[in-house]
Amino acid sequence: MHILYRRKWLIAAGLFPALFFYVVFALYPIVNSFYYSFFKWDGFTQMHWLGLGNYAELIRDSVFWNSLRNNVYIVVTSILLQIPAGLFFAIILNGRILKGRALFKTVFFMPVVLSTVVISLFWSMMYNYQVGLINSFFRIVGMDSWVQNWLGEPRFSIFMICIMIIWQYSGFYMIIFLAALQNISSEVLEAADIDGASGLRKVWSVTLPMLSDTIFTSIALCISGSLRTFDIIYVMTKGGPNHATEVMATYMFQSTFSAGRYGYGSTISTAIFIVSFLLIVISRMAIRKLQR
Amino acid sequence: MNMVTTKRIPATHRLMQLLFLLLLLLNIYPIVWIILNSFRTDKELNVHPFRLPEQLLWSNYSKAWETANLGLYFFNSLVISVAAVLVTLVIGALAAFFLSRFEFKAKSFVFGLFVLGMLIPIHATLVPLFIEMKQLHLLNTRFTLLFPYVAFNLPLVIYLLVSFMNPFPKDLEEAAIMDGSGVMTIFGKVIFPMLRPALVTAFILTFLNNWNELSFALVLINEDELKTLPLGLANLSGQHANNYTLQMAAVTIVLIPTILFYVLLQKHLTEGMTSGAVKG
Repeated sequence: MHILYRRKWLIAAGLFPALFFYVVFALYPIVNSFYYSFFKWDGFTQMHWLGLGNYAELIRDSVFWNSLRNNVYIVVTSILLQIPAGLFFAIILNGRILKGRALFKTVFFMPVVLSTVVISLFWSMMYNYQVGLINSFFRIVGMDSWVQNWLGEPRFSIFMICIMIIWQYSGFYMIIFLAALQNISSEVLEAADIDGASGLRKVWSVTLPMLSDTIFTSIALCISGSLRTFDIIYVMTKGGPNHATEVMATYMFQSTFSAGRYGYGSTISTAIFIVSFLLIVISRMAIRKLQR
Repeated sequence: MNMVTTKRIPATHRLMQLLFLLLLLLNIYPIVWIILNSFRTDKELNVHPFRLPEQLLWSNYSKAWETANLGLYFFNSLVISVAAVLVTLVIGALAAFFLSRFEFKAKSFVFGLFVLGMLIPIHATLVPLFIEMKQLHLLNTRFTLLFPYVAFNLPLVIYLLVSFMNPFPKDLEEAAIMDGSGVMTIFGKVIFPMLRPALVTAFILTFLNNWNELSFALVLINEDELKTLPLGLANLSGQHANNYTLQMAAVTIVLIPTILFYVLLQKHLTEGMTSGAVKG
């Protein structure tokens, strides 16, 4: 029983400012988005009730499915590559193999704090067909057949974006795993040493099981993070060529603000919300099953 | 090979060292390449992409600073980022104080509501928020971005501060009550000073979120005088699409302060990022 109990009006007053901002500018829009999705609306004139019309159109809209598929590509490549890369960096940096660990940590983590816009401009200078670093390198060493229009080729442009995203966030998972490794007592690892476990063996049977919780948290973070992909695409490709790099958020933006279809854009917003929610629930359930 | 005097380093370790050195170079070299080329002309870049600049050409910088309005965007970003962070921290700390140190019926519901906010896909709110702000006549004002920036950073801040505050001993407040202090005095004099480390972390994380934010700025701001740095940079790549060395100068102008800020505050930053994800 707390001594500061029963100060209802004071508690309400203390919570009010935060709740006000949060409800009015974060929760209310989500609810509103759902409401607008039942209308045909250009944002200015009369709204027309469509019922489930927008949803029927969305289900038949191949561009939407294409953008959802690109989101899934980003989620899958992130989980399969970012987390192992982060783990690998963390385990090596936690050991005594390298000198100058602080420098490695600083450099690998840096992309996480840079704005995505800067990163996008930065990578444009890597990928550029004419003067980009990658093509310039191939031309100079005489491997002209390797020169590609990296972002303009629908067959692999989305994977070029995935590479950037992996580069951007691997350092984030490295830091998370490093923090988790600090929590594993060195005694456990020393005990494994005395038992004669070699490097790889030690990682597999001692380190990884102890990190399992952190790995699961990271997967959840990966999923919610990947669904937030917008800035990179907006700056680099605007979803092109021919929707090859479109993701749900950019398609929503384009439908609403370029095509002026507020109702349909809101329907895509609702779809983003539903997909995020489903993926998080499914991953939660899968994680619970695995942890048993 | 003399194995008596030197300590033998296993081959796998040598390989790892090489691999990491290579990764380090792969990360650093592009930055160096961009900085070097920002001092050259587009023509030079086209003909010899890997030459050092012959003389330091500052015209890209003056052009980037003037035509792209980078100075103004810097100022705008700074004002809105700092203002939003201060509001977020004050009202977030207040809410966290009541959610952590008091008992009331709706406590876990309210806390859960805030935590849920970390999972909201922000892009799903862009359209309705745009309409809402239009109806409130809040588009294109000096403080337009404050509202979404505060709203979407509160969940993280409240979560951080509540986690930090929960272990504080109960007799903290009890001693103060014996002295006859009111609740707000306890918050201001006892709790707030103790929150300092968590507040520093929350400040840095929230500031970075706002400083780097593009989507809300893109949708809610279209007057040039009010644009933020990410928005200005995103437009720059469109306006000066084929002037690469100018873009490189602009990227360098933004990179250098960010890297400095990061290196100075690195310790707080990494601690903050991991505090939520790792159960210690």
